[in-house]
Amino acid sequence: MELIFILSTLTGPLLLAAMGGLTSERSGIMNIALEGFMLTSACVVAVVSVATGNPVVGVLAGLAAAIVMALLHALLTQAYRIDHIISGMAINLVALGGTNFLDKRFTDLSRQGEIPQIPMLVFDVLAFGLPVLLWLYLKRTRGGLRLLAVGNDPDKARQMGVDPIRVRYAALAATGLLCGLSGAMIVTNAGRFTDGMTAGRGFIALAALILGGWKPIPTAVACLGFGALYTLQLQLQGSQLFGANLPSQFWNALPYLVTVIAMAGFLGKSRAPAGLGKE
Amino acid sequence: MGHCCALRAAGRKGVRRLTPHVRLRGIDKRFGSVVALEAVSLEVEKGTIHAIVGENGAGKTTLMKVLYGSHPPDDGTIEVGGEAVAFRDSADAIRHRIGMVSQHYSIIPELTCLQNLILGAEPAAFLDEQAIEARAQMLAAKMGFSFAWSEPAANLSPAGAQKLEILKLLWREADVMILDEPTAMLSPADAEALFESLTALADQGRTILLVTHRLPEVLRFCKRADVLRGGKNVATTEVAETSAGQLAEWIVGHAMSEPVVGSFEPGEAVLETRGLTVRGDRGDEAVRGVDVLIRSGEVVGLAGVDGNGQRELYDALVGVGEVLAGDVFMEGADIGRLNPGERIARGLRLIPEDRHTQGVIEDWSLEANAALGLHRLGDLRRGQWVHAPARRRLAERIAERFRTKHGGLHQPMRSLSGGNQQRFVAARSLEFAPRLMLAFQPTRGLDIDGTQAVYEAIRNRCREGAAALVASFDLDELLEHCDRIVVIRGGRIYEPPAPQARDRNAIGRLMVGAEAGLSA
Repeated sequence: MELIFILSTLTGPLLLAAMGGLTSERSGIMNIALEGFMLTSACVVAVVSVATGNPVVGVLAGLAAAIVMALLHALLTQAYRIDHIISGMAINLVALGGTNFLDKRFTDLSRQGEIPQIPMLVFDVLAFGLPVLLWLYLKRTRGGLRLLAVGNDPDKARQMGVDPIRVRYAALAATGLLCGLSGAMIVTNAGRFTDGMTAGRGFIALAALILGGWKPIPTAVACLGFGALYTLQLQLQGSQLFGANLPSQFWNALPYLVTVIAMAGFLGKSRAPAGLGKE
Repeated sequence: MGHCCALRAAGRKGVRRLTPHVRLRGIDKRFGSVVALEAVSLEVEKGTIHAIVGENGAGKTTLMKVLYGSHPPDDGTIEVGGEAVAFRDSADAIRHRIGMVSQHYSIIPELTCLQNLILGAEPAAFLDEQAIEARAQMLAAKMGFSFAWSEPAANLSPAGAQKLEILKLLWREADVMILDEPTAMLSPADAEALFESLTALADQGRTILLVTHRLPEVLRFCKRADVLRGGKNVATTEVAETSAGQLAEWIVGHAMSEPVVGSFEPGEAVLETRGLTVRGDRGDEAVRGVDVLIRSGEVVGLAGVDGNGQRELYDALVGVGEVLAGDVFMEGADIGRLNPGERIARGLRLIPEDRHTQGVIEDWSLEANAALGLHRLGDLRRGQWVHAPARRRLAERIAERFRTKHGGLHQPMRSLSGGNQQRFVAARSLEFAPRLMLAFQPTRGLDIDGTQAVYEAIRNRCREGAAALVASFDLDELLEHCDRIVVIRGGRIYEPPAPQARDRNAIGRLMVGAEAGLSA
């Protein structure tokens, strides 16, 4: 039971962020800024929850902040044609510096105890239900079809009367929302904001997305796998494994290692959305 | 639903003679300082196939995009069914039941056939797959088409993709159907079937605008034709009252000369293959034991329906295909083990099938593309470097040869229209004394003048001692321009017997596998 709790706590943020990455990348916008969205949300949730004493307001504010950041990414890449990776890098850096500033400026250091929280179970339900919903969305709705079409070939989609820009802004708003939830879940679990607390989980989510071939269910499975790795790491920390004491850095690197190996050989041809990162 | 449409169509029929289905008046369109269309007017009668003919860059496609809403005009009016309309984008035009199949198709290969069919015209926010498939099946059955609906569209043949495009228009209940060069990628038999479908649709009251450069299609299937030249409408005619010669003269603005195939003495063998067998995409033998002999001076046409091994044969000759067995000799030397660069150094040149992906690097400048593949030849090579002034002279020469229209040699290749890219790629293959030219649809997207010029240049090189193999899906083009024609079918080469060497029907039978003499 304890183990399942840990597993869901560690996997939930990955699931939410990976699904956020999915809507973005499926629309054709490369997104390495998931980390930044999550961090922004985590910080704003903490600050606003404390300021208002209301965790719901806090979370809503966090989501709004992450959505704004995601829309900024859409604006930079679509309206200003900035390279998707560069825009993503910029947003991550802004998030890192900005949250550090916000945290220092507004957190009352003399204050004791944790921030007001909404129950973790809410996040768990959202995180684990989402992949199925997203799968249905892509398969069974007009919006899902248009998202796939725009991500594969925006020009052809436009010819068919679909507005790629609108689809992409909507997709990025969803990315912001989901990454915002992910950040809120992380800060809720931790009880307080600490600098850089998302600790690369946005990138792990991205790795899961790639490993899962940009499909909701396989991506969710990859997230679960990575979540299980984290759980295992917590359990095994300090203990001997195969007679060797593996450093924690090894465990941290493992998800990336798995992704690289999988990309290199086992998955064969890349199945990325064909229009990813183009215009 | 169907009933209501029938009523509306009947209502229009009453005023058909007074009001054309589509009327464009005084359309102007400029791109920057370039005038693409100037005061173009056009009237299209309901229930007919109406041809828009003209050279590349004459403004045909631009005019159609004006009607389809993707290029709003700078001036002029559009009327559809007697009602003045102004389209801001394609979605607007689609709402007015105008549909367009563009030259490069708008099918997204990663989506399924069904998803492609409904994209942009989904019946509801939530997709009821069964109901959608039922209606799709019904539309397809009406046209005599069949599709594996849940297969990715990537698996479609060019003819299949074309059929799906037409079905997309029907799905959207388009009354006005614009088809831009619809037969460019089809075999003669598929093209024939397409026109059968189009004629049936016109008979049902749909209005079809056909953009084409193939005059036989115009003469056989269209009722009226408008000729564009230099962005202006230079002639409007009933097809019954004109001829191919007259149309061609309007199109180019001067009388055409007949191509001179002429006689010559074939010289030494330039290309010889013995038992060449090449692996295909799916691991099968796409080319099976092919023996080809091409002599100096000859232009040999390779006829065949798309997908019969042409691509694999070319890949093997260029040096990128996977040869399973057999030998390739060039001027007596075994080149089977040479890489493409070494073959190019020996004088092999390629005009690839798909210029976008195989012929040019679109982000590079024209100048950089000029030296692509040729960078080790002649005065281009300067130690480990490419000699920049020589490259510039080369690019100038290449752009000059077929009058490629460009905005400067430093502009990226993607700034050129498809036809102009083709001119550039074709001209490049003629540089540095080629010995063997392998051309795959060398005039794809070119107009009459351009086609003539390219074939003439290839033939001149051959008369100087080189040899050429030209693959095309357009048999008429090969018959017009080649000295000799061989057929590829199922990866094997067939040569029509001497008395029928230029007999269109005999060659056609070889292409589809109906043995000569049996069905004659």
